[in-house]
Amino acid sequence: MKLQIKICAAALAFLLSATAGAGPALDRVMERKVLTVATDANWPPQSFLNDENEMDGFDVEVAKEIARRLGVGVAFVTPLWDIITSGHWQGRWDISVGSMTPTRERGRVLDFPAVYYYLLVNAAVHEDSAVTTIAGLNGKNIGVTTASTHELYLKKELSIASEDAPPFTYQVTPGKISSYERYATAADDLRLGDGVRLDAVLGALPNILKNIEAGYPFRVVGAPVFYEPIAIAIDKGDAEFKNRLREIVLAMHEDGTLSRLSKKWFGKDYSRSYPVD
Amino acid sequence: MFADHAQSGKLLHRPRFLLLLFAAVFAAFFVVDFSQSRIAYLFAPVIGAPPAVGLHARFVVNLTLALLLCANIFGLSFLRFRVQVLVVWVELLVLSLGFFYLFDLSLAFMQRKIGFMVTQGVVTTLYLSAVSIAIASVIALIGAVAKLSSNGFAYSIATFYISIFRGLPLLVQVYLIYLGLPQLGFVIDAVPAGIVALSLCYGAYMAEIFRAGILGIPRGQWEGARALGFKFGLTMRLVILPQSIPLIIPPTGNQFIAMLKDSSLVSVLGVWEIMFLARTQGQAEFRHMEMLVMAALIYWLLSIILEAIQARIENHFRRVSN
Repeated sequence: MKLQIKICAAALAFLLSATAGAGPALDRVMERKVLTVATDANWPPQSFLNDENEMDGFDVEVAKEIARRLGVGVAFVTPLWDIITSGHWQGRWDISVGSMTPTRERGRVLDFPAVYYYLLVNAAVHEDSAVTTIAGLNGKNIGVTTASTHELYLKKELSIASEDAPPFTYQVTPGKISSYERYATAADDLRLGDGVRLDAVLGALPNILKNIEAGYPFRVVGAPVFYEPIAIAIDKGDAEFKNRLREIVLAMHEDGTLSRLSKKWFGKDYSRSYPVD
Repeated sequence: MFADHAQSGKLLHRPRFLLLLFAAVFAAFFVVDFSQSRIAYLFAPVIGAPPAVGLHARFVVNLTLALLLCANIFGLSFLRFRVQVLVVWVELLVLSLGFFYLFDLSLAFMQRKIGFMVTQGVVTTLYLSAVSIAIASVIALIGAVAKLSSNGFAYSIATFYISIFRGLPLLVQVYLIYLGLPQLGFVIDAVPAGIVALSLCYGAYMAEIFRAGILGIPRGQWEGARALGFKFGLTMRLVILPQSIPLIIPPTGNQFIAMLKDSSLVSVLGVWEIMFLARTQGQAEFRHMEMLVMAALIYWLLSIILEAIQARIENHFRRVSN
């Protein structure tokens, strides 16, 4: 009898472990003593390769801090954005600290433990452009990142799954949406000149400002078209891991760590609710 | 190519042909219109500063360039073959470097980045390609033998495999293997996934090369080996393969060079090889062109080295077989 129970227990354990592809992420992190973070290597100032050829930026520092508070080391992997957002990570990495907006579609395959900052989404045009208002962008050719909230906004399919996201309206009906694998390529195309390949780009304000700082002949058009909360993301199914990360991020909000990092990388505090300016 | 001893006047030294060539070059240049390009700045004293260009400028610029090109070809025809090759190579090299120079690249930036590009990027690319080509060769040999065998099972597996992996774009295979294998319970990292994809794809192409190499050996060799009492394995090892290798080497070297460049597709998985770094390292300072040019030159240099190695191996086998 006892043997039978043992066999049953073993079989059950085996079954559980076989289905546990999306399970004890926290155990895995603690056991390996390393938090493996997926992030983009092409998105300054959030994440990029610095002069020492190491990952650096706002997202990277946030990830390092989360790992420190978990009491483990940190490692970075840099898969394509659409591979991260499509979920089913199979334990290849534990967490995405890559400025992800919690949309309803992504919520089907990913969990969002906590919001760590907020982004303004703006349109920018070439300096030579005659466009001065958001309405002036109707019918234009606008560049965005593939599978980003910016693209969803232009397609009028955006739904942010965070309760405190402020309402927004679709203010632009582009003539053509040019979808780029990465924002940097869109920015390079707009730099070629007004209307050469693009009439405008839609992107996060800090990145547009970073372009302008680096000498790109861009001009921000009008007010932000929408605000988005930015969350860390994990693979679905580990409530314990989710709660632990939530506590950590909330603590980082409270003790001012996120404000400090935001000021360091963006020059402004984007960590508290919706910045309006 | 076959060189015969019949003497005839050079085509280029016939005035009519020369005139025709010039007309064709000028017409082509006129259509492309170099007065729109940055080359026109060189003509500023004659045609005025661009962009103030018109029909006059279009004639001047394109006529001059066409004259230069035809004079160059005509002049070259008086030189010996080896000198011709040297001169043309140098000219093309100067032109392509001038092309890069026009991009207004920051050499200081490139100098700062090249160290990591070599220690991380080149090493990863070479490692990926070398491991993949080794595995691909083994797969190819098995595939070729299977496709030649009279065993229905082996034949069907080989033809199915070759059909699939030659028929799908490599990028699709990279994604399928990286995202698909975990669905079956095999979670593999980006680098092994890349190696599996490259090996399987190139194994399929090389299986056909190996098969051609084996088929290229006359039937009499098989019959001779059989007459000596050799079984299949011994025949392959001692008679057929040693003779096939000189046939297989040139197209295999080709495949290796192609793989070196195709390994850039693995960058989509986030493997830090040459192409990934080329797209990433310039981001912080928005200097993408510098990194792309650097990657281009590195790939080219690696290919040249591989070409040289291939030539040496070919020479070696030619000497052995003669």
